[in-house]
Amino acid sequence: MRPESTVVAHDFLAMGTSCCLFAVDRPVSRLRAGELWVRRLAARLTRFSADSELSRLNAAAGEWMPISADFEAALRAALRASEMSAGLVNAGVLPALLAAGYTRSLADGPPSAALMQGQPPARLPEVLDVGRRRARVRPGAGIDLGGIAKGWMADRLCELIGPNAVVNLGGDLRAVGGGPRGQGWPVRMGDVTLMLRGHGAATSSVRRRRWAGGHHLIDPRTGLPAETGLEEVSVVAAGGFEAEVVAKTALLLGPNLAPAYCAAHAMAWWLDGRHDG
Amino acid sequence: MRPGILKIAATLLTLGSTAASAVFVTSHLKNATAPLQPPVLTSTSTLGGTVVVGPSVQPTSQDPITSTYAS
Repeated sequence: MRPESTVVAHDFLAMGTSCCLFAVDRPVSRLRAGELWVRRLAARLTRFSADSELSRLNAAAGEWMPISADFEAALRAALRASEMSAGLVNAGVLPALLAAGYTRSLADGPPSAALMQGQPPARLPEVLDVGRRRARVRPGAGIDLGGIAKGWMADRLCELIGPNAVVNLGGDLRAVGGGPRGQGWPVRMGDVTLMLRGHGAATSSVRRRRWAGGHHLIDPRTGLPAETGLEEVSVVAAGGFEAEVVAKTALLLGPNLAPAYCAAHAMAWWLDGRHDG
Repeated sequence: MRPGILKIAATLLTLGSTAASAVFVTSHLKNATAPLQPPVLTSTSTLGGTVVVGPSVQPTSQDPITSTYAS
């Protein structure tokens, strides 16, 4: 085992969640620059600001809108997530989220509405068109990037910070390099600690971001907050984006199918919830 | 060299290769007891959930620096 290197760390709140960055042999200024990068990108991708690119795209439903390269990449990631999950990870659930009461950031107070009857959203490729530096949302549809954006951003930011770093954006995480001792980065998942090295990890949970009568994870098969029997899924995969997609898909599949799905798509996983299906 | 000799030589070479291959594969039988799947650590955790760790990820007793727990 080699001598332990110095780890610099930087914590901050962004995107309505806690974020932490770690790196070996990097100045803390690099991590602060990473925070600015997160804030800049989050300002484009949030649906809770009317000025964001995402909000303007949703407001311009039916018309092509010019978009930045970063936003185009994020939207393409959402389409890829839909394809990877056979439609279960659907960024087009915004109308259902709004109907369920999730109309504002939870930092501004819990929603009060409870949706009793859902309308399953169309599959994302049917409502979102992405071209070179332009995009269009079909009328009546809306996009919410949610955790997809965080996993995707964690992967990108980790590359920017350096070859030996961890980026954790509210549980969507990417770890590269050997960590302080050359063996990897110790990261807690469930009740085990795992050495991550060139891995991503993410948790999908309905235990947080919930309110009386609902929570934030919409099942696109029903248009209602998911009730699958699983309440929390964490996975380790090749990257933060992949981990986010696999975790969310597994949670939506429920306790009977999730173990086999995780065995095929994850390197480690944690399943928790009611086991009565 | 007469064509017939070449044909015979080619035939013998083919038969010899076939026989050698047959000997090789029968002497290197697949281990029927070999595991089809890599070993995994599976446990029901003290938190009530189920953890499965594949062979490409190593558990550790080190203190974690962070967690996948969403906030």
